[in-house]
Amino acid sequence: MIELLASALVLASMYGLVAVGISLTWSSVGMLNLAQGFVFTAGGYVAYLFAQYMAKNFSIRDGLILSLGVVVLGMLGSAVAGLLVGGLAFLPLHDRINFPVRGLIATLAISIIGTQIFMVIFGPQSKPLPQIFGIKRLKFGEFSIAYGQIGTIVVATIVLLLVTLWMRNSRRGLQMRAMMMNPLGANMVGVSVRTTGMIALALSGALSGLASVLLGQIFFVSPTSGVQPLIVGLIISLAGGLGSMPGTVAAAVLLGLVEAVTARYAEQSLVPFAQFALVIAILTFRPRGLGGVLEDVRE
Amino acid sequence: MSNSSVGRRRLIPRWRVKSSSLSRRFRVPGTKRSLLRFEGRYNPKTLQRELILRDKKPLFWLIGLFALAFIPIAIGQQLVFSIFGSICFFAAVNVFWTLIIGTAGLQSFASLATVGVGAYAATYLSITYGISWPVMLVIGTAFGGLMGLIISIPARRLDGLYYALLTIGISEFCRNYITQSDALGGQFNGALFGADRIVPEEAMQTTTGQTIAYLTSFVVLLISLAIFRVVSGGRIGILLRTAQSSKEDESFASAIGIDFQRARLLVFLIASAALGFVGAFYATNQGGASLSLFSLDQMLLLLAMIVIGGLGKAEGAVVGTVIVVFLNQWFTSWGPWRIVLVGILMLASVLYTRNGLFGLRQQLIEIRERRKALSRATRTTRYGAFLPEQGPEIPDKGVIAEREFERAIRDQLRDWITPEIIEEHRLSPMGQHSDHLERILNYFRKQPISNKYVVYCEESYKAYRVVALSGIPGVPPRSVDDKTYSNLDEAYHAVFLRRINDLKSQH
Repeated sequence: MIELLASALVLASMYGLVAVGISLTWSSVGMLNLAQGFVFTAGGYVAYLFAQYMAKNFSIRDGLILSLGVVVLGMLGSAVAGLLVGGLAFLPLHDRINFPVRGLIATLAISIIGTQIFMVIFGPQSKPLPQIFGIKRLKFGEFSIAYGQIGTIVVATIVLLLVTLWMRNSRRGLQMRAMMMNPLGANMVGVSVRTTGMIALALSGALSGLASVLLGQIFFVSPTSGVQPLIVGLIISLAGGLGSMPGTVAAAVLLGLVEAVTARYAEQSLVPFAQFALVIAILTFRPRGLGGVLEDVRE
Repeated sequence: MSNSSVGRRRLIPRWRVKSSSLSRRFRVPGTKRSLLRFEGRYNPKTLQRELILRDKKPLFWLIGLFALAFIPIAIGQQLVFSIFGSICFFAAVNVFWTLIIGTAGLQSFASLATVGVGAYAATYLSITYGISWPVMLVIGTAFGGLMGLIISIPARRLDGLYYALLTIGISEFCRNYITQSDALGGQFNGALFGADRIVPEEAMQTTTGQTIAYLTSFVVLLISLAIFRVVSGGRIGILLRTAQSSKEDESFASAIGIDFQRARLLVFLIASAALGFVGAFYATNQGGASLSLFSLDQMLLLLAMIVIGGLGKAEGAVVGTVIVVFLNQWFTSWGPWRIVLVGILMLASVLYTRNGLFGLRQQLIEIRERRKALSRATRTTRYGAFLPEQGPEIPDKGVIAEREFERAIRDQLRDWITPEIIEEHRLSPMGQHSDHLERILNYFRKQPISNKYVVYCEESYKAYRVVALSGIPGVPPRSVDDKTYSNLDEAYHAVFLRRINDLKSQH
């Protein structure tokens, strides 16, 4: 039971990180970032390169420095990739006509280009990431939980809490929330749409970079490894209501739970079916998702 | 285009016609449409009756489709046949997808999945019950329509991106279902082959067989274009265009009694059934179906085709398909770089064009108009005889040329006016003058009568005054000032000074 809960929460925290990033980008920038998968993979590859470098030059294969470096560099790499997406898709397009559709297509194009370039540089093989929390397991009587799982849950929870607090209390957070409500109004009272949008993109990039590094505990990094988190993240941010942090987290927990339960009691292959059935059910009864904040705000 | 700007010359082919055959026009039997849109007019110079072809698109379509049909047959290689076959297949899919996205305005990404459903259903039934290819086509159409019916249910409640993501989900769902299902070739990674073919497999080795197979795909493309034309250009398309661009438009459409939801679903169902037909055709052409019909990558490639060509237009869908499929299948030796190139094309077309390749023309025209207006507004020497924005409103360009000429003359004369010239005129207003003074005087003599300064004789040899003619018969001249001159020469010189004054202040 605890194992089931732990694996559900691990999935939930990873999906939640990606989904919160997508949700944040959509609500503040007004662009559905389909290049989030590329951003996710970019963080993974930066962390992989760092681990390779440390292993080759300093023979460091585990330990606190490596773990910290992997996490920080993974987040940084993804943040830079997020800024790249912003520079290519958001800055040139955000004041043009038909921005939502054109932004979506531009990010899709970036995602296609990025995936293929990773394919050229790193090849189609999967690359392993170091186990940042070690490989030991914590035992409770007959149950046991891997340190990696606990670490993932704890780190994701802390980071999501920090982001929520930052959004609620800081000046930037206030600007971002103003932009979510009414971008034109925010612009008129002196919020720079361009700066705030780029910060939102970098932040969501850093979040998915963290998810990438954490997911590297379970999966490996490959050029197309961003597709699955992107799709699940999109579904979660939809089901949670684009723009609502609590709704997104709730949806992430729900979907993680469904995935863990289905994989445990039925078959791994049925997981997508169960997830889609859940999302369709949610969207049928609440077409704007669980949080449902953006009813008519963005047009 | 009207004559909305100065100095534009566009190449419009003209046909001289007899004025007796003016009202004769070919119409498509049963309709009021004519094949080519001609406009009759009189040539403004020769005053002869002529016809102008207003819409050249049908000609381009004809040339393009001819090229598409005969290039592979002329080359006759298997690779070229397969590339052009893919072009026809994907173009047909894209045309129907354009019908869904552009005309119906539903952001559905499940169109390739609908094709897949049609293909798998037809293949499965053909393998299991041994049905022949015409029945397969019917079955594919039916299954496509059924799939459309299922997908259209959530479209009533969801809109925009939500619906887009749901349809992406549905196609992933279908892909997963097929990999799980043993009956649909799950154990062979979704490859299900062995269906009845239009051209038997052994005939596919010969050039004749390949030609026939290619021509059938070309016919499918033609069918898709015809359906697009009928649906999008017909009544239902007009109804939907009213409700197309925004929420306000939807409210407006329903306010004037258009049930756009119903029209949308109808178009969606027609397009879905047609997509099922294309899928069944794929099965009869390839002898089965494969999982690539459901893959996300393939769908992104299709989206790239539509985006590069221009969203919402049949010609955009076809040309975008030609570009992307050619890049993708001809340059296979480039490896991943060719996909990167497709991505770059897609990015460029989104960043720099408003609506792909076929929105480019309108965009360029607008840019040119803007530049022209800007330069007209900043120009002071040309068109100086009137306000710059008046320029486009004068239909007779000869008037513009004349005013420009007058203005050039005035500029020239103004430079010639010097104290010496004035002194020369004062000394002898009549008689022979220097060249410059003579030209100035000739210019003054040519001026129109209204407001022309003349000498008025109050008392012969004693009192003369300067007056201005009204230019209207029966209206007396107005007096300009109350100065009187004792002799005629002084009065002439006073008129001359006034005219020079006016010339200096005029631009």
